[in-house]
Amino acid sequence: MSLKDQISSMDMDDIVEMCINQEQQAIDLYTLARDQAKDESSRQKFQELVDMETVHKVSLKNFEIENYIELPPADLKVTNYLMEPVLKDNMTTQEIIILAAKREDKTARMYQDLADHFHFDKKLNTFFQMMADEELRHKHDLETEYENEFLQEG
Amino acid sequence: MKRERPESFNTVPMKERMIIPRQDMPEQDALLRSTNFLEVNLGLTHEQAVFEAQRCIECKSPTCMDGCPVSIKIPDFIQLICKEDFVGAAKKIKEDNSLPAICGRVCPQETQCEEVCVMGKRFEPVAIGRLERFVADYSMQHGNGSQETFDKPASSGQKVAIVGSGPAGLAVASDLIKEGHEVTVFEALHEFGGVLVYGIPEFRLPKSILRKEVASLEDMGVKFVKNFIVGRTMTIQELMADEGYDAVFLGLGAGLPRFMNIPGENLNGVYSANEFLTRSNLMRGYEFPEWDTPLYRAKHAIIVGGGNTAMDAVRTAKRLGADEASIVYRRSEEEMPARNEEIHHAKEEGVKFMNLVNPIEFISDDQGSVVAAKCLRMELGEPDESGRRRPVPMEGSEFVMDVDMVVIAVGNGSNPLISQTTPEIETNKWGNIVADEDGRTSMDGVFAGGDIVSGGATVILAMGAGRKSAVAINEYLKAKVGS
Ligand SMILES: Cc1cc2nc3c(=O)[nH]c(=O)nc-3n(C[C@H](O)[C@H](O)[C@H](O)COP(=O)(O)OP(=O)(O)OC[C@H]3O[C@@H](n4cnc5c(N)ncnc54)[C@H](O)[C@@H]3O)c2cc1C
Ligand code: SF4
Repeated sequence: MSLKDQISSMDMDDIVEMCINQEQQAIDLYTLARDQAKDESSRQKFQELVDMETVHKVSLKNFEIENYIELPPADLKVTNYLMEPVLKDNMTTQEIIILAAKREDKTARMYQDLADHFHFDKKLNTFFQMMADEELRHKHDLETEYENEFLQEG
Repeated sequence: MKRERPESFNTVPMKERMIIPRQDMPEQDALLRSTNFLEVNLGLTHEQAVFEAQRCIECKSPTCMDGCPVSIKIPDFIQLICKEDFVGAAKKIKEDNSLPAICGRVCPQETQCEEVCVMGKRFEPVAIGRLERFVADYSMQHGNGSQETFDKPASSGQKVAIVGSGPAGLAVASDLIKEGHEVTVFEALHEFGGVLVYGIPEFRLPKSILRKEVASLEDMGVKFVKNFIVGRTMTIQELMADEGYDAVFLGLGAGLPRFMNIPGENLNGVYSANEFLTRSNLMRGYEFPEWDTPLYRAKHAIIVGGGNTAMDAVRTAKRLGADEASIVYRRSEEEMPARNEEIHHAKEEGVKFMNLVNPIEFISDDQGSVVAAKCLRMELGEPDESGRRRPVPMEGSEFVMDVDMVVIAVGNGSNPLISQTTPEIETNKWGNIVADEDGRTSMDGVFAGGDIVSGGATVILAMGAGRKSAVAINEYLKAKVGS
């Protein structure tokens, strides 16, 4: 069964739970990477990512569709054309940001696709749009950081 | 802060000062210089320097000093030029800046002292940088060498190790030797001077100036050790525990080249700016064919970036014989961080500027050498926090161009060697050493300053950080004796 069909047969609480699990998977991945990182600077960056995903997970638990404000962040596309780094124990901060931004991009696209698919269902459409915006916001923040640090061309 | 105005030696009436034109620096002809590595700027003449100094209107509250990161007493040295006491003027600068011949050449005065010069509000600012360079060169030729003579103080019996011979390290060495400490500079490379020798090319900053500075520090008693990599040849702990150094200053710079992470960056013919400039500067690629350094004559060299490093690389590529040398920059010229003078000189020398273009892949032939670059056109979007408008890719704008040399000049990071071998020293997530205002790190007796703390910045900021650390190191050593 496709994800869309699955969602059609789920109630809202289950859908939120599924998204919380998705966030938890990201938290687990970044926690593992943090613990395996050889370098203090990489550990710091992975910890920031764990914190970012944790905030999102908590906010999902308390979410109210009525509070959604349509304000999608700009997609800067800074990392779109960069190579996807492999997760390993000696990543540089530059690679970690690219990796995370690409993950956020993929998840944002997935939620956007779901939002578009469920355009007829106000509640589902708003929920997935909110999720897509949030993932894009993470990508935007990561790419801003990437640009500020790695693309100053000094 | 209110300060006393220096004694005036300017005999030109106030109104007439405004009509003296800003003195242009004589320079080598553009066509000729694009084929040689000799210095582009030739320096003001004696007469020009006096004219230029006479343009200063001796402001009651001189804003120029606020614009200088180390607060050189600009109005004072300008008056000494009016008096034609050029050696005295150089001495006045050296009270705050130990490397004026270098700063006079490479400081971005247009965004520092000259940007805020009162004359600049209605006319052109006083050419403070050109004057600084003039008196520093004059004093090197006619004064007491590049550094001031000083009465050798009694030995403190304490030893300081300086790691890195860039402007930060040299400034610390110059200040601490005057305090009677035994000072040794350890340098990983085979020449001293940091970026000033391996990065900035001969045509902008002749290496002879650096050699004079180093020689005069040696005369003052500073020891220089080359080909010594702290963290590999010996660790910081070993320097302190086994070799008896009481304090260590880390002026390691930001020498780790950054790449873009796009496909094809590992092809033959794709260099980091760091490698390209080091080959040209230290392995004397610029003296081909006398020195046979592996740098070839490109048909089309592209340099990716828009900073000073990119300008230095593109002008070097041109001089090494590239038929065409182009800057490929993802923003517009307005956002370029390179000095205006460098952009202007590069254009005069025939460099092509491809702005709002970003490479996304380098393509190879069957030998693994780069033959083309796939690029995207960009457009400017919303401004970022610094006010620079962000470039955003234009969908469907891909194009491919022939290139046989690529130099990536998008920036540098810090080398992780020291943080890996000395975990006691705290670093941030970018790998920069964490230090307080005076350069104290998290390890007792170890100080740091310059690009390794701030990230890639400027010569004067590195030098200023070095001088602050020197004060703190001196206090630390005194306290150590007392305890
Ligand atoms: C190409 C280029 C052009 C530039 N142009 C300008 C300009 O026009 N104007 C301007 O103001 N600034 C310019 N800059 C920036 C400026 O040069 C730097 O900000 C400045 O040199 C930093 O000084 P520093 O002493 O911190 O480090 P550096 O100059 O980088 O010197 C650090 C030294 O430490 C040595 N080192 C590193 N690790 C070790 C180790 N483990 N053991 C021993 N030695 C070690 C390195 O080999 C190096 O020699 C330019 C930079 C580049 C790369
Ligand atoms: S601000 Fe300009 S005019 Fe005024 S004292 Fe300084 S150099 Fe002279």
